[in-house]
Amino acid sequence: MTLSLPLPDQPAHAIAESVRTGAVSARAVVEATLARIDAVDGRRPSTSPGPDDPENSRRVHAYISLQAEQALERADAIDAQVARGEDPGPLAGVPLSVKDIFCVAGTPSTAASRMLEHFVAPYTATPIARLQAAGAIAIGKVNLDEYAYGSSTESSAFQPATRNPWNANCVPGGSSGGSAASVAAGEATLSVGTDTAGSIRQPAAFCGVVGLKPTYGRVSRYGLIAFGSSLDCPGPVTRTARDAALALQAMAGADPHDSTAAALPVPDYSRGLDQGVRGLRIGLSPDYFRIRYPDPTTGEIRDTELPPEIVAATRAAAEALARAGAEIVEDVPLPNTSFGIPVYFVISRVEAASNLHRFDGVKYGHRTQQTIRDLRDMYRKSRGEGFGRQPKLRILMGMYVSGAQYASQYYQRALRVRTLIRRDFESVFDPQGAYRLNALLTPTTPTTAFEIGAVYGNSVLMQYADLLAVNANHAGIPALSMPGGFDAGGLPIGVQLFGADWDEATLLRIAHTFETLTADAAWRSRRPLALTQ
Amino acid sequence: MLSFEAVIGLEIHIQLNTHTKIFCGCRADSWGAPPNSNICPVCCGLPGVLPVLNRIAVEKAVLLGAALDAQVRDESFFDRKNYFYPDLPKGYQITQFDQAIVQGGHFDVPMPDGRIVPISITKAHLEEDAGKTRNDVAAGVRQIDMNRCGVPLIELVTGPDLRSAEEAAQFLVRMRQLLRWLDISEANLERGHLRCDANVSIREAGATVLNPKTEIKNVNSIDAVRNAIEAEIARQIGEVEAGRRVSAWTLDWDDETQTLRKMRSKETEADYRYFRDPDLLSARLTPEWKRAVLATLPELPLARRSRFIVDYGLSAYDASILTEERALSDYFEAAVKALGGNPKTVANWMMNDILRVLNESNATASDLAFKPAHLAETIRLVEAGTINRATGTALITKVIATGRTPTELIAAEGLAQISGDDALQALAQAVLDENPQQIEAYRKKPSLLKWFVGQAMRKSQGKANAQALERIFLCVLPPADV
Repeated sequence: MTLSLPLPDQPAHAIAESVRTGAVSARAVVEATLARIDAVDGRRPSTSPGPDDPENSRRVHAYISLQAEQALERADAIDAQVARGEDPGPLAGVPLSVKDIFCVAGTPSTAASRMLEHFVAPYTATPIARLQAAGAIAIGKVNLDEYAYGSSTESSAFQPATRNPWNANCVPGGSSGGSAASVAAGEATLSVGTDTAGSIRQPAAFCGVVGLKPTYGRVSRYGLIAFGSSLDCPGPVTRTARDAALALQAMAGADPHDSTAAALPVPDYSRGLDQGVRGLRIGLSPDYFRIRYPDPTTGEIRDTELPPEIVAATRAAAEALARAGAEIVEDVPLPNTSFGIPVYFVISRVEAASNLHRFDGVKYGHRTQQTIRDLRDMYRKSRGEGFGRQPKLRILMGMYVSGAQYASQYYQRALRVRTLIRRDFESVFDPQGAYRLNALLTPTTPTTAFEIGAVYGNSVLMQYADLLAVNANHAGIPALSMPGGFDAGGLPIGVQLFGADWDEATLLRIAHTFETLTADAAWRSRRPLALTQ
Repeated sequence: MLSFEAVIGLEIHIQLNTHTKIFCGCRADSWGAPPNSNICPVCCGLPGVLPVLNRIAVEKAVLLGAALDAQVRDESFFDRKNYFYPDLPKGYQITQFDQAIVQGGHFDVPMPDGRIVPISITKAHLEEDAGKTRNDVAAGVRQIDMNRCGVPLIELVTGPDLRSAEEAAQFLVRMRQLLRWLDISEANLERGHLRCDANVSIREAGATVLNPKTEIKNVNSIDAVRNAIEAEIARQIGEVEAGRRVSAWTLDWDDETQTLRKMRSKETEADYRYFRDPDLLSARLTPEWKRAVLATLPELPLARRSRFIVDYGLSAYDASILTEERALSDYFEAAVKALGGNPKTVANWMMNDILRVLNESNATASDLAFKPAHLAETIRLVEAGTINRATGTALITKVIATGRTPTELIAAEGLAQISGDDALQALAQAVLDENPQQIEAYRKKPSLLKWFVGQAMRKSQGKANAQALERIFLCVLPPADV
């Protein structure tokens, strides 16, 4: 089946198989992918874009920068390896897009900020280096919210920001919007994103692809320009669960450059994929079928039901898995769910404000060209010019809640609540507990992709796009978003799985089973609008 | 008039002598290296980098804690201290804020007058150093050298237990000794391995209150500690006697002009927004690891000094000198062991000869090519009368120069002592024959006896037995007039 697909739309495992056997050259794969980018991506975004034209406004704009020449050289090297009878690795020739929050040696590594517009990284992030070592070919760096601070990719300093391949008027989600859009539109077979509160899963849901946030510590953060260091997880964005398994296999494991990367053995993620779901206990929680948030003006706590289409898609997934032998456990309580966003607001901003300290115009990055009075003036002007609105807001908030006067009220308290959130999951995944879940099934997002400009500017509301995703980051557990159908407007719906620590394998197995079960469903054959125009 | 006493506490930054920096693989020591030649993405705080804790730095902190009789935490944490400065590349310093690895403890400081002053230790924590800034005012530029970024430090904080500038100076002297003893730091003040801030206040003698204190920064030599604190005590007494209050200032000690300068009022102190560094795990010491580290804790200087007095019968003075450095005391004990006893003679040779050679060559005892076994062999040769004392001394430099043993050198160079009566008498006679007028002089000035012996020694090229020569001259010279 896959062989009939154009090369850019084939899954990674099929491409690697073809390249390793010599059936297809890596060069052909890269050239086909570059041609796809040429066809659908439109002009490169920039920090001084000028007015958009109607033609461009239909394009995806996933990439900030392309490394086409290096990619072709790498493809030739892989083809030469194959010709010599060597094995270029399990991801041989697979085109990879990299969220531009990762340092890759010799590439502009911008974090979608003016501050790093001209910063060329002198080293390569561990997860990217590992994918390259497994044969993947980095094609370019893809767009994101500035420093990953957002859920729509609209806050990027590089405009036009990425659009949703299914509907160019909608956002691709974020912050890994470029990753999800590039994979959905066949501009890459595989992308590496980062997930701090859903930044892989939410755009994966919005773009109809698979996004995996591994357990905290499963994949090294070395080379990832930090946002919330205790929450950040690099992970793969792919079109299939099998590809996610392949990518995680290459990325995972201990790293001498990251002491928070766990020194645990990495299982074979592909091996168990076809074992089915019989006997697995999969939970559904009422706490994940509503959104509870404070009204932005009154502060009053509100409960809102999720859109019926999203509930229906999630329930349909549960039923399909039940038919395949999974045991569905209803009414699983996760009582601290609604605290996830307020806690995240505090913790992520404290870490972000501190992580942004290094961007001071002294060593690298933007330094003001204005005349300066003194050192403080140089800091103020450089940071004032280099940072966009999101970093500035987060610095203000982060400084405030970690100040000596307020830290116990906000930061220390948020850390304690975070522990409670973690305990919610510990209790339902406890093999000796009342629920003994192997996974929890939820919607990924409270809505499908929203329109460009509809939410942007309201930081609080934007944050609630991550309401159903964020607690995996607080708890450090793995979570995966997979396509679960479409809404009436033709936008993808994401279904999410949470798992116990280090048990990505079970999530991948469930996702793969669900793909198999729904392979013949009509919605599976839909193609993004960007590919049909 | 009131009498005052000073209340002094010290904060000491100790540069550890680890091979690599605290969070990356760069060399820890950049002495003499060109600016920014010993740096990497991690210590320069490039985007995306992460710190990885140097285990050896933790081991050194554990040893220091044990030596200070402190509580060494089985789990300690690293925090970020956030502030902007150009030589702080990440914009925060990684340090240990509230759960430092070493908590409490005390340190006994022997004073020159024989008192032992017990000083409490508040805490000691691990942290990274910042770089160096050079302000070139004329050119209007600031130059940053990041070589020092990430060099491992222990910051040690004492209680307010020191009562004079001299006590503070002695504390530093003894702390330097301990750090070298434990092989934690080179503790070279001129190279900034020990950097000291002093908190000073005064109060009526005998009172127990703590008055507002000033903090003196940059007192980076033993003399600076003594002089700066003395100046500050005098200033504070002057303020109080003039009816003014002492404000909580931060002061800078200018070593050039020997004066204190106000840097800022304490009220304007920054909020560092400390929080746990999420990039580092806590430092957990497993019982096995802690045991293995503590097994390497050597006998401490004061204990060894006492033992040398009790076990070897050394004078307090000799024992102090010989325990100044661990390598020296090890040398002494090894020589005593090799000789099979006679510690006082060994001490005598150490004090007279070995220390001189060490000073002249600027070496430490462990590096000396003249080994403890060589010393024992030399002493044995002198005691047996095979060579005289002076030849023994001369042998030290010969052994160092040639790498041969004392016995080999004696044989090769004919250094054995001339002790036979005939040979000595011939020598004496020759001297008398050449100096008839000195014989006359001797009648009036019997102290010339030494002169005759000296002449004979010279003729023998230093190999004659001087005591035997003296006996012979006494027999052959005419009796003195007095």
